[in-house]
Parts: sequence; structure tokens; C-alpha cells
Amino acid sequence: MFGCPATSRTSHQHHIEKTDKVMSSGDSNPAATPTPCVDIQGDGRWMSLHNHFVSNSKDKEPDVLFVGDSLVQLLHQFEVWRELFSPLHALNFGVGGDETQHVLWRLSNGELAHISPKVVVLWVGTHNHSHTAEQICGGIMAIVQLIKDKLPKAYTLVLGVLPRGKMPNPLRERNAQVNKLVKDAVSSLPHASLLNVDPGFVHSDGSISHQDLYDFLHLTPQGYQAVCQPLHAHLKGLLEKQAEN
Amino acid sequence: MSGDEMNPAAVAQAVEDIQGDDRWMSQHTRFVQECKDAEPEVLFIGDSMVQLMQQYEIWRELFSPLHALNFGIGGDTTCNVLWRLQNGELDNIGPKVTVVWVGTNNHEHSAEQVAGGILAIAQLLTSRLPKTKVVVLGLLARGEWPNPLREKNVAVNSFLRSWLPRLGHTQFLDVGAGFVHSDETISTRDMFDFLHLTAAGYRAIAKPLIDLLLQILEGTPEEKRASLV
Repeated sequence: MFGCPATSRTSHQHHIEKTDKVMSSGDSNPAATPTPCVDIQGDGRWMSLHNHFVSNSKDKEPDVLFVGDSLVQLLHQFEVWRELFSPLHALNFGVGGDETQHVLWRLSNGELAHISPKVVVLWVGTHNHSHTAEQICGGIMAIVQLIKDKLPKAYTLVLGVLPRGKMPNPLRERNAQVNKLVKDAVSSLPHASLLNVDPGFVHSDGSISHQDLYDFLHLTPQGYQAVCQPLHAHLKGLLEKQAEN
Repeated sequence: MSGDEMNPAAVAQAVEDIQGDDRWMSQHTRFVQECKDAEPEVLFIGDSMVQLMQQYEIWRELFSPLHALNFGIGGDTTCNVLWRLQNGELDNIGPKVTVVWVGTNNHEHSAEQVAGGILAIAQLLTSRLPKTKVVVLGLLARGEWPNPLREKNVAVNSFLRSWLPRLGHTQFLDVGAGFVHSDETISTRDMFDFLHLTAAGYRAIAKPLIDLLLQILEGTPEEKRASLV
């Protein structure tokens, strides 16, 4: 449905990634190796979106940049964006289906070239289906490092990956493990932190409601409100602190 | 058009749980349960184009009041929709109108096969729900610039335009007008990723659709007269 064909459910036969060209020696984590999405379907949408983000950023001066996958992208479509994040002068560079290595490629290839946001909100990892929790953490940390290199003054707020699926399943465990690993990895960094934005989507019987995650992965407007109110408050706090420095 | 065994797009097929969280089956199960509780007048069935519509205000404004159910699942092909309809999603309901919107994800199939798959869905609906009128929505253009998928979707629509009238109680509705601009581009204002519609994009397609739905639900004068005889 969303984004990079390499993560769509029918395309395990089509799992093609240009790792040979971009892997440097010693790189053993595909989740941390910048990789563009290959246009298998034939309409070039991923590259169109990337190009749009690069050119859009040329005349904008965002204080906040949201970057990540469909959870970021869809946020931009609902009222909650206009209510809470437009007033913070936020830009949205979410692409559905993106894995860590795709976000890494996009940020390495122009999406940070023309802007200096004070805070980068990073939300990615749930679509990294062929990677372990350790690899996904490595991918997220590679993005955190890249942002530090390109935007030395920016603060990176990594959002915890949400639980998914109607009932308990291995992906919930994997996502929880990713969050734990990332939290440990950023704990020593002054320029980054992990924020858990799960307001308690998993009920006492282990189920997730379609009222919060309409397909047990993507957020409904109601789900976004529950996630974004505390996120907004946290962001405002960060921006005020950045202004003081 | 005949020989559905030869058309892979007309073969019912469930989605395999490759990712590991079984979301497709969970969604299907929820829809089957909804059929037990609800009495929809309108049923929407299809892929993410259908599913996403329910997340925007426009659903509550225009379609909920018509007692509409939404059985869209992102990523679905004609094969997946056929499977769902054959496995419980039509049980115990008798909607007056069924809106079908699927086909853009059928990447393995030719335009003719995709149209054949959509036709098979319409045929299944009219045979399982004799009182329903089927509205098949045309596939939208996609991609920022002209590309083979746009041509394919146009071809699918062309086949549907000529085949669907031969089925009783079925009509084709093209809601794609205006999305491709004179410079041949599609704007992110209408399709945020050059495939999925924004709120504004859904508003544009809702107009002709709601007009047709109301027309069908309220019945034409001819139908009203005939029902009195």
C-alpha cells in the first residue's frame, strides 16, 4: 500500500536494493547503509517525493523537521498537523514504507541541504522487515549521527516505534526491543533522546483497537491526537530550551 | 472476459502474513463481524483508496449518514477482494448499493486482466446480493509525471466502460477528472504521495459519487412507478 515496494507484502520476490554501490568496506548493517528505493512499480513516486522535499526546502525556514515513514507522512494529512505542528513552523518529510536506510539516503542526498531546523523529529523503523532489532537500532543511530554531522546545532527527537497488529506478535516484541536499544544508545548523547509516544494502545487483553490504529499499524485521527498532544508539549519545551542556548 | 480460470486477476486469493502481525486477516475478521451487527445501505469494498476515505472528515459528513460500511484494505488486489467477498464479508447484509474501487495494486496483471478481475467482483456481487446496484469507480491516474501505470489504469477504465454495461445493475463512474493538470503533472495537494488522496482529493471525488449514490438510494421516478404496480 504505502511506499517502497521492497517492503510491500507482495514483493519479497522483488527485494532489490542497491547495496553493492553504496556499501563501504566494513559496512555490515544494511539498515544503516544509505539506500534509495528502487522504482519497481513504474511510476517513480518515491523519487518524486524526495525531489519535492529537496526543492520545497529551498524557500522554507522550518524550526521543526519531521522525517520518517508513513506514520510521519499520514500525520501531515490530518487536522492535527495544522492544529499542533504548523504553528511550530514544521516541515514534513515522511514517505510511506520507508525503512531506516531509505531515510538515511534521503537525508544524505539533499533533504537537509537548505534548512536548519532546531529540532528534527525522527520516526522510522517499523517497516524494516528483513532486519533485526539491533540492525534497526543501528539504522536509527546512523540517522541521528548524520543529522548531527549536517546540522550541528539541531536536537534529534527519536519517537519510539509503536506496537502493531491486533494481538501480541513478534513485531511488537521487535519494536519494543528497538526502542529499548535506541533509548540506551542515545542516553549518553546531549543532542538526542528517545520519546515514547505510545499512550497505551495495547489493552489489558493484549489487543489493539482499530479506533486507534485503523489497520493495526497506521494511526486514525483519534490515535494521532493521543500521540501528538504529549509530543507537541515536549516539542515546545525543546524549542524553548534551544532558544535559550 | 470469459474463462476466468485463465485470468489470474479473477482468482480469489487471501493475503499471506509475511510480515508477522497478521493484520490482513485481523481486518477481514473485523469486517465479517461487522456484517453480523450492521445493516448497511451502502457497502464500500476495495483497497487503500477505499480504506483511507474513512479516516477523513468527509466520511462522517457524507457517507456515514447513508449508513455506509467501509471494507477497504490497503494493498489489496482484485484477487484479495474476491477472496474476502467469498469468505464472509457479504454474509447477512443487503446493501442497496455496493461501491467497488480496486485494481491499482494489481502489479502482476495486464490491464485486460485487471478489468476482468473487477468484472468478476461485480458479477459476484450481483449474484450474491440480487437487490444491490454496483458502482465501479474508475482507477485514478498516479505518479507525478506520465508513466506506464497511468496508461495501464486508463486502459483498465476503458475495458470497464465497455464491459460493465452488459452486466445488469452495474455502472461505471469515472471520478478522475481534474487530477492530471495541463502540464501532465499530479499535485501533492490532491494526492499526497502521487497515489493516495488528500482531504481535498477526496472532496473532489465525493461530489460525483454522492450524487450517484443519492440518485440510486432515492430511486428514479421510473423505479418508483414500477414498484407501485
